[in-house]
Amino acid sequence: MRQEEVLHMFPQEMRRRWEQVAGQADCLQEIRLRVNVPATVWIDNREWFVDAEGKLTNRWPEEGACRPEELDAILKHLCQYSVYAYADEIRQGFLTIQGGHRVGLSGQVVMEEGNRIRNLKYIRYLNIRIAHEIKGVADRLLPYLYDERGQALNTLLISPPGCGKTTMLRDIIRHLSNGTVYGNGMNVSVVDERSEIAGSYLGIAQNDVGIRTDVLDGCPKQEGMMLVIRAMSPQVLAVDELGNEGDIRALQVASGCGCKLIATIHGASLADVRNKKYMCNIIADRLFERYLVLTRKNGRCEIEGIYDREGMRC
Amino acid sequence: MLKAAGCLCILVGCIGWGGNKIRDEKRRIRNMQELIRIIRRIQNEIDYGKHTLPEICLILSEYSREPFRECFKSIYERTGRQDDVCLEQIWMQETIRCMQTAYLQDEEQEILINLPQNLGLQEGKHQAESIGQSMDLLIRKCRQAEEAYENKARMIFSLSILTGVFLVILLL
Repeated sequence: MRQEEVLHMFPQEMRRRWEQVAGQADCLQEIRLRVNVPATVWIDNREWFVDAEGKLTNRWPEEGACRPEELDAILKHLCQYSVYAYADEIRQGFLTIQGGHRVGLSGQVVMEEGNRIRNLKYIRYLNIRIAHEIKGVADRLLPYLYDERGQALNTLLISPPGCGKTTMLRDIIRHLSNGTVYGNGMNVSVVDERSEIAGSYLGIAQNDVGIRTDVLDGCPKQEGMMLVIRAMSPQVLAVDELGNEGDIRALQVASGCGCKLIATIHGASLADVRNKKYMCNIIADRLFERYLVLTRKNGRCEIEGIYDREGMRC
Repeated sequence: MLKAAGCLCILVGCIGWGGNKIRDEKRRIRNMQELIRIIRRIQNEIDYGKHTLPEICLILSEYSREPFRECFKSIYERTGRQDDVCLEQIWMQETIRCMQTAYLQDEEQEILINLPQNLGLQEGKHQAESIGQSMDLLIRKCRQAEEAYENKARMIFSLSILTGVFLVILLL
């Protein structure tokens, strides 16, 4: 299934060339396409080049550079020939495609009044990040996610990019929603700004996010959190990648409404997050009761530590 | 007696042929009105709903009337299978097939067949406007056809009776 998903990212006439890469779908992490150079892929933390025939090689191939029209065709195909439908995402430099895979984009920026990005043209660099749904990845963490009454704890997942934050968050959401031996299932609302958690397509979650989960797809976190609190009265609210003061303010309001919070943030350690200007207050206020720090060691993603609200290792 | 029956058959045949031509014109007007409705809906779904083209096809497969309904359903299903040719080609194949049962003229058919050629803009509003460019032509043609319908129908009907009478005289 995943193999087909990878193949279907490319227009039909190019699929033959990507068959070998698609064959490695389970370990495939990234496909990088750059104009006038051969494509590179990351498989199991190793970089490979894709030659003109689609063979994977660890040497720089002479042939097989990506042509501008190929990149245009791939982008058009990824957008289902409806670039306008992805305009907001393209403006932010990425788009999320069916299956929750994220495509990073780079090219020439067109600015508008107020020094704001209007759109991207000549998109010549694509970075396709393959989303992996790994069920059970959060099993080890479950005892730390509930209090003694079986209530979920406000939890913050901290990790650098590419260490499996979103995968971990998705599995935690699934467990909280379905219920575990540590607590009953709860109504979970997910504000999925970039469609990475649930990977919604036509409004339907493509990933398993649990039986009691409501997904608000494509909505900015700040507005989305307020909306789901009013509309869905969740017991648990989940968001990915806190990034500014507005997100934190919305989290505080949500917490005040009695919601439990599960969130992720970029950071190398708890101290690193504490140093972020917009995070220091919320940590000092002890809003979060658990901090889970993920890291990458020897190319593998691991749980570096689990901390309580005081910042003490559990 | 036989001659009278033969004359009657010729007259009925000619009137029937005329009636059929009138119905074709009526169907052409209905097809044009439907096409205008479809293009307006596409514009709204692009500008307001920000739906992708396959999603719009799904909406139109429920919203539009035959012969377009089946065409949009087919486009949506084929794009969903993902092992087919690209959407542009699917669209062309299916709309050309659909037009075989429609009563539209070539110029009117091309508006729908060539619609994906206008796609590619990043902003929904401009994209919708670009798709609507051919609407003026379609609306003008539809209005002309509606206005001319009564006279045209009368003319075809008279002509068919006259043809019948002429044939009867010729055979007698």
